[in-house]
This record gives sequence, C-alpha cells and structure tokens, in this order.
Amino acid sequence: MTDDDEDLLIEQVAGAYRPVSRDELRYHPAWHDLGPDARARAFERARALRALEAALDPDGLSTTARAVLDRITGRR
Amino acid sequence: MDLDVHLAAIIDGDTRAFGAWLAAAEPRVRDSLRSFARAIDVEAALQETLLRVWQVAPRFSPDGRANGLLRLAIRIGRNLAISEVRRTRATPTGGDDLDAALAAAEAPAPPDPMLRRAIGECRNKLPTRPRQALDARLAGAGGQADDDLAAGLGMRLNTFLQNVTRARQLLADCLARRGVTVALEIGP
Repeated sequence: MTDDDEDLLIEQVAGAYRPVSRDELRYHPAWHDLGPDARARAFERARALRALEAALDPDGLSTTARAVLDRITGRR
Repeated sequence: MDLDVHLAAIIDGDTRAFGAWLAAAEPRVRDSLRSFARAIDVEAALQETLLRVWQVAPRFSPDGRANGLLRLAIRIGRNLAISEVRRTRATPTGGDDLDAALAAAEAPAPPDPMLRRAIGECRNKLPTRPRQALDARLAGAGGQADDDLAAGLGMRLNTFLQNVTRARQLLADCLARRGVTVALEIGP
C-alpha cells in the first residue's frame, strides 16, 4: 500500500460514519486495513476533525454527536 | 463547567439536553480512550459508549461532585474498550491512565467563540470542491458512508477523500494565518 493509499484509508476511518453491524461495536471496514501507527493517526485526525465540525455546527455538535443522537431518536 | 446541569432534563428523556451534554463531553470521553487507538476502533467504541450513557442515565445517581455523568461515561468507555481488547486479543499501548482522564473530566473547557468564528470564516473561503466535500461530511452527520456522499456530489470515492483532505489542510493554513495553532493531524 502506498502512503497516499494509506492516507485515504485514514481519512475514511477518521470520519464518524460507522456501518450498522451485527457486532456490538460498529467498526469501520477500512480500520482493519490500517497498521497500529496509521490507526493512531486516524484517532488524532478524528479528534481534530470533530473539533472543527463542532465549531461549524450551530449547536456545537460534531458528526459523532449527531450520529449518536440519530441512533437515539431512531433515525438510524 | 458542571455538565450535570443537563442531568435532570436528560433523565426526563430530553434529547436536546443530551445534545448539549454531548457537545462538551464527547472530546473528554474520546481523549480518555487515546491509549486504545492502536488496538480498537475508538470511534466505534465512543459512539457505543455515548449511546449507553443515554440508556443508563435514568438510573444514574449523582455523588455530589461535579460532572458525575461525564465521569460515568469515561468509566463506561474504558470498560468497553478493555472488553473489546480482550475479545479481539489485541494489545493496547501503555499510558492508560483512568485517574488522569477522570481528573480532566472535572473541568471541561467551554467552546471558544472566537475560534468558532475564525473556523467558520475560513470554511467560507474554501474552494468549491473541497468545501462541498467538507459540507457533505457535516450534512451526512456520520450517518452516510463516504461512497454515498461522493456519489451524491458526482465524485469518485478517492476524489471525495482527497477533497476532504484538501479542505482540512486549507482550513489549517487559513487558521495559521490568523495565528491559530491547530492539531498536527488537521494540517498537511
């Protein structure tokens, strides 16, 4: 895998989308294709992105918070 | 700030109150799971943790100290992460310090309105395609896969992701010009 390919996988994993799964936790499929260092980068990128997202949201909510609220209200 | 100001409304089933709690609590709970990032999908564990907090909140009894629900969330997240590590037989990185995470939960920082405005102004200066990609991620609210968001914009998945990356980097550049230091993973 090239660095560019890996970076695109990190970009996907850093998003808040997680598919519906039969397992308890909804892993992103691309997470399994990353090594430990890339997973750590995905964590840091997600952390930084959520702060940006919250700043751009009228209610201060990140896409993680929106995803959780949508699960609570049955929209997902 | 004591986030338990939202507790009574949360117990009554008020999702708006839970949203207000989430806005401040999510970064703290996420940070408390950093040491597990190499071993489990922390985003997945975090979302499940926050969902469980909502489910158990009606039975939560405050202990008289500030941010009780946040401290409970950190414990739920940590237990879930440990359980997941055992299930997958993964090896977490060291540095899992529950006490430090709980101490940080005592005083969540309020959002900085100046930073919010700077980020919003920098977003408005993004070129069309990167801005479309970033806005699609925001509008998708974590509920749509990147493939679907890309298709909605008439982009291939890789092009969409490259535009998300470019949006992130341009935002970092713009903020840096305003003297705002951002996390390394935001920038190039």
